[in-house]
Amino acid sequence: MKNDTWVKPYFTKYKSLLALIFILGTFTVICGAALMFTSGYTIDKSATRPYNILLIYVPILLTRAFGIGRPVFRYLERLRSHNWVLKMTSDLRTRLYKTLEKDATFFNETHKSGEVLGLLAQDINHIQNLFLRTIFPTIIGYIVVALVSIGIGWFNLWFGLLLLLLLLVETVLVPLVSVAFQRARKYRQKAIKSELYTELTDNILGANDWIIANRKDDFKQLTTDNIKSLNDSKKQSMHFTQYRDLTLQIVFGLMLVSLLVFTNLYFTGNQAQANWVSAFALGLIPLSDSLIPISQGFDELPEYQDSITRLNNIETTDRQLPEQKEIDLKEVTIKVDDISFQYLEDTPELINNFSQVIEPHTKLAIIGPSGSGKTTILQLLMGDLKPVKNQITINDVDVLQLQNHRTQIFSVLNQSPFLFNTSVMNNIALGNENASDNEIKEAIARVGMKETIEKLPDQYDTLVEESGQRFSGGEKQRLALARILLQDTPVVILDEPTIGLDPITENTLMNTIFEVLKDKTIIWVTHHLHSINHADQVLFLSDTKIQMQGSPKELYKKNKHFQELYKMDQGI
Amino acid sequence: MIDKRLFRLPGIKQLFTMLAGLTVLQAFVILLQATFLSRALVNSWEQKPLNTIYIPTLLFFVSFLIRHTLTLLKHRYLHTKAQQITDDLRSSLLDKIYTTGPKMIGKRGTGNLVTTALDGMDEAENYINLVVEKMINMMIIPLVLLVYIYFQDVKSGITLTILVPLIILFMIILGYAAQDKANRQYAKYTILSNHFLDSLRGLPTLKMLGLSEKYSDNIYKTSEDYRRSTISTLRVAILSTFALDWITTLSIAILAVFLGLGLINGTITLYPALLALILAPEYFLPLRDFSNDYHATLDGKNAMNNLLDILSIEENESNDLLPDISWEINSTVKVQNLNFNYSDSHADADIKNASFELHGFDKVGIIGASGSGKTTLINLLGGFLTADEPQDIQVNDHDIPNFAQKNWQKMFSYIPQNPYLFSGTIKDNICFYKPEATDEEVQTAIKAANLDEFIDSLNDGLETKVGEGGRGISGGQAQRIMIARAMLDQDRKIILLDEPTAHLDIETEYRLKETFNKAFVDHLVVFATHRLHWINEMDYILVVKDGEIIEQGTPKELTKNKGYFVELVESMRGDKL
Repeated sequence: MKNDTWVKPYFTKYKSLLALIFILGTFTVICGAALMFTSGYTIDKSATRPYNILLIYVPILLTRAFGIGRPVFRYLERLRSHNWVLKMTSDLRTRLYKTLEKDATFFNETHKSGEVLGLLAQDINHIQNLFLRTIFPTIIGYIVVALVSIGIGWFNLWFGLLLLLLLLVETVLVPLVSVAFQRARKYRQKAIKSELYTELTDNILGANDWIIANRKDDFKQLTTDNIKSLNDSKKQSMHFTQYRDLTLQIVFGLMLVSLLVFTNLYFTGNQAQANWVSAFALGLIPLSDSLIPISQGFDELPEYQDSITRLNNIETTDRQLPEQKEIDLKEVTIKVDDISFQYLEDTPELINNFSQVIEPHTKLAIIGPSGSGKTTILQLLMGDLKPVKNQITINDVDVLQLQNHRTQIFSVLNQSPFLFNTSVMNNIALGNENASDNEIKEAIARVGMKETIEKLPDQYDTLVEESGQRFSGGEKQRLALARILLQDTPVVILDEPTIGLDPITENTLMNTIFEVLKDKTIIWVTHHLHSINHADQVLFLSDTKIQMQGSPKELYKKNKHFQELYKMDQGI
Repeated sequence: MIDKRLFRLPGIKQLFTMLAGLTVLQAFVILLQATFLSRALVNSWEQKPLNTIYIPTLLFFVSFLIRHTLTLLKHRYLHTKAQQITDDLRSSLLDKIYTTGPKMIGKRGTGNLVTTALDGMDEAENYINLVVEKMINMMIIPLVLLVYIYFQDVKSGITLTILVPLIILFMIILGYAAQDKANRQYAKYTILSNHFLDSLRGLPTLKMLGLSEKYSDNIYKTSEDYRRSTISTLRVAILSTFALDWITTLSIAILAVFLGLGLINGTITLYPALLALILAPEYFLPLRDFSNDYHATLDGKNAMNNLLDILSIEENESNDLLPDISWEINSTVKVQNLNFNYSDSHADADIKNASFELHGFDKVGIIGASGSGKTTLINLLGGFLTADEPQDIQVNDHDIPNFAQKNWQKMFSYIPQNPYLFSGTIKDNICFYKPEATDEEVQTAIKAANLDEFIDSLNDGLETKVGEGGRGISGGQAQRIMIARAMLDQDRKIILLDEPTAHLDIETEYRLKETFNKAFVDHLVVFATHRLHWINEMDYILVVKDGEIIEQGTPKELTKNKGYFVELVESMRGDKL
């Protein structure tokens, strides 16, 4: 927590706004107390039956002022604090984005990153709650504690100290004890919950299997233990909270009692003094509203702590790149010269002595089972990863020296192309910001989406919806392809773009892809031999090595294994 | 605010009665607490010595203690009951998943169901806790206090009575408008928080387009837009709380003035005046508590509704209509005019008038374009989906209305495209249909599935943990585990397959094919696929188009017919080398 950079800086960043929140919050509490205080005084004073009604005029006026003041200040405080927190959120989000943006390797393990990203986004929401539910109420509570103690201490130092002591028990001791006790339980509950989550997923995703295995009892039994221990732990937490709340109330009751004794002792010199008696007691009562919830806020701390730790632990590795160069991008020859790659010295080698020359306009297909290093090769080609041995060059320049121009050299069509939740037009325009509307529409027409789009009620302004839901898998690929056409790079990488598509869609899509990209270099990673006729070169990878390579026709003639695979794929 | 179905939950009435009893008691203790406090204050005001307030102060503290002890008891009772109720609900939910399983999972989504069963339960529990307590407090405490105040001072009583309809009116006018806005805001919030997540997920794409750096401005801008719109909504949304606050504080102020005037005129004495003033905030407190928790209960309410909706899904009727038979070489299934409609839009087609027969150990392929109804047909055969109406189905001359029959389901194994691996060991997964299998049987099954080499390569062998939190298993190995599972239970003579190799790379598929073929011997196989090579392994093909079986026959017959089958195969095959 010491080196935190995600929460602490914000105490100073919007300092004056923050101060305003505390002032408004304190005023809210004070008005609430003062309302009861002046009301009590008004009644006590009135009970002396003064001749002139004007004598209670000022307290009456104040009563009204405080009566209006409390809701107004509360209203303003809530607005201000939300505004502040959201401002901070904008900063945090931008920062999280920028942090992740720098670190391309973060996204290497695509499966995992989806989950992590969700967690990180959630963590920012947790920080919002940390401020709204714990930090603000606690600080305002402490200001009130100080004011009350000073106020009473002004009348009598010793009584002021006694009250301060009780207030500290209420706002510091009990919350700290509470969070200390609850922390372990919260973590335990979290652990049980994640086990339960797995078990419930087993129940639900495996429902078919449970049913046909006819194992209803086991199905129900699966979660029983964890539900029981979760319930037990929750029960303990609840009991603890209930006793804690009772303790808080008792301490508060003691404060009231001691105030009653105090006022009886010190405000009984004359009637004018005695008129303040009810005021003190009544004024103290509303304070419980702002002091007792502090413990609750503390209890949530462990949860926030996790979030803050996770955010602080995001590591960003600034890549050390060699001096960047410029090259002519018209004709691009890629040379891979006997490279090897492994992530760390003690991890297995993913690529072993791999060589390849990719001439301009080559259509190269790379085939291999998962884990054979297909994706690693793509990352090496684009310079996301650095070979441990030798190098990859583009027109004889190390690809690592071309990172400033990589988006002018490579474009990528992957398994699930990402469409942003905006219009079709905007999504395609991302390919080239200088493209005119006509150029965009032409690109859409070339990928065969013109009719589909123009049939839609909003045509090119149609929203693609979250992650492109509006369109089918094949259509999404076509839209992403249009984006690539606008990007107009000499090399296009196809990373299994047809996975999850049915063969008919796959056929037509691959036909379109190779038709519109015929003058580009294409590096195509695929998992079967469908549409392989489009490739000039096929490269079979297995266990970090090239198993066979050649043009598909050649291979079909000469290589028996290829022949078998091809026949299987074609069903002939 | 409250779903009526909540009251129909078992145990909830008892809960209400018990809590109502405790709350009445509590209301009286609040009265006592106020009277003793007033007494002590009046004595101090009269400048009486300390010993005159000993007794009232002590009694005040005792009633204060009892009041909060009652709160503790209420909470304890309520929480225990709420936990019981949610446990029962969870248990019913699991039963529901088991009985109506896949039908509902398809409709609700797995994620939704898991969330409902876990977090949703917490929210529902929280909802019961909040709603029941606050509602009972609101209905009982103000009423008791008000009656008492009338006895003490009619004018104060009238003042407080008049305010209630005013508050309610205010709440209705402001609350509804604002709440509606707030609800919409909540929906928008979800979109925007998704926008951020969306952008993070889209980061690799932005990077490839060279736009990722620029896009950070967009993140900030969207977030700031959201802030502005939230604040402008909040301005209205929290007006209802403001109004309630305002009326409460102002009515206390007004009450204080009335009481003051009454005291000056001598129409009231200090004791009842003080009592009324002390009770006034207590009178409004339950109302304020109730409205403060409105938003906290929103989530709970949704979770609860979601849960109750799921529980109200109708279950299949009896699953015991098929006698205990075993599948033999001469067994048959006859299906006449099978129909099935998805009630809402669905990726796969409805099934229309499908008639077919399955015989002995035939290999039957189901071929069609994607979305043509292949998967629906397999799910119907497995009894995972059932039509609402009884269908014309015969298994060995026994009439059954659908395939969701226990004795049918114990005769087949099911292998989907992405088989589900349970979190546990490989052995647990293999023995899933037959947990009591001997080690020897397991070894035989592993060999049959050509899984022995892979298992030997693992440090923990059969005891290797897989599934969530376990070792990742490649698609090919997962399918072999499924085959071993099917081979282990020799009583299951039917295998239903749904695209088991579509997502695998060609080498893996090639190696797996042999294993599959070996497993198919002496089994009835029903195989939905669009991988063409499987057609050659089939004895009989059902060709599906838009939910109808438009052609069926042996592959040879179909090829000769030159109908849709040939057309389909051609368009799937694509251009030749």
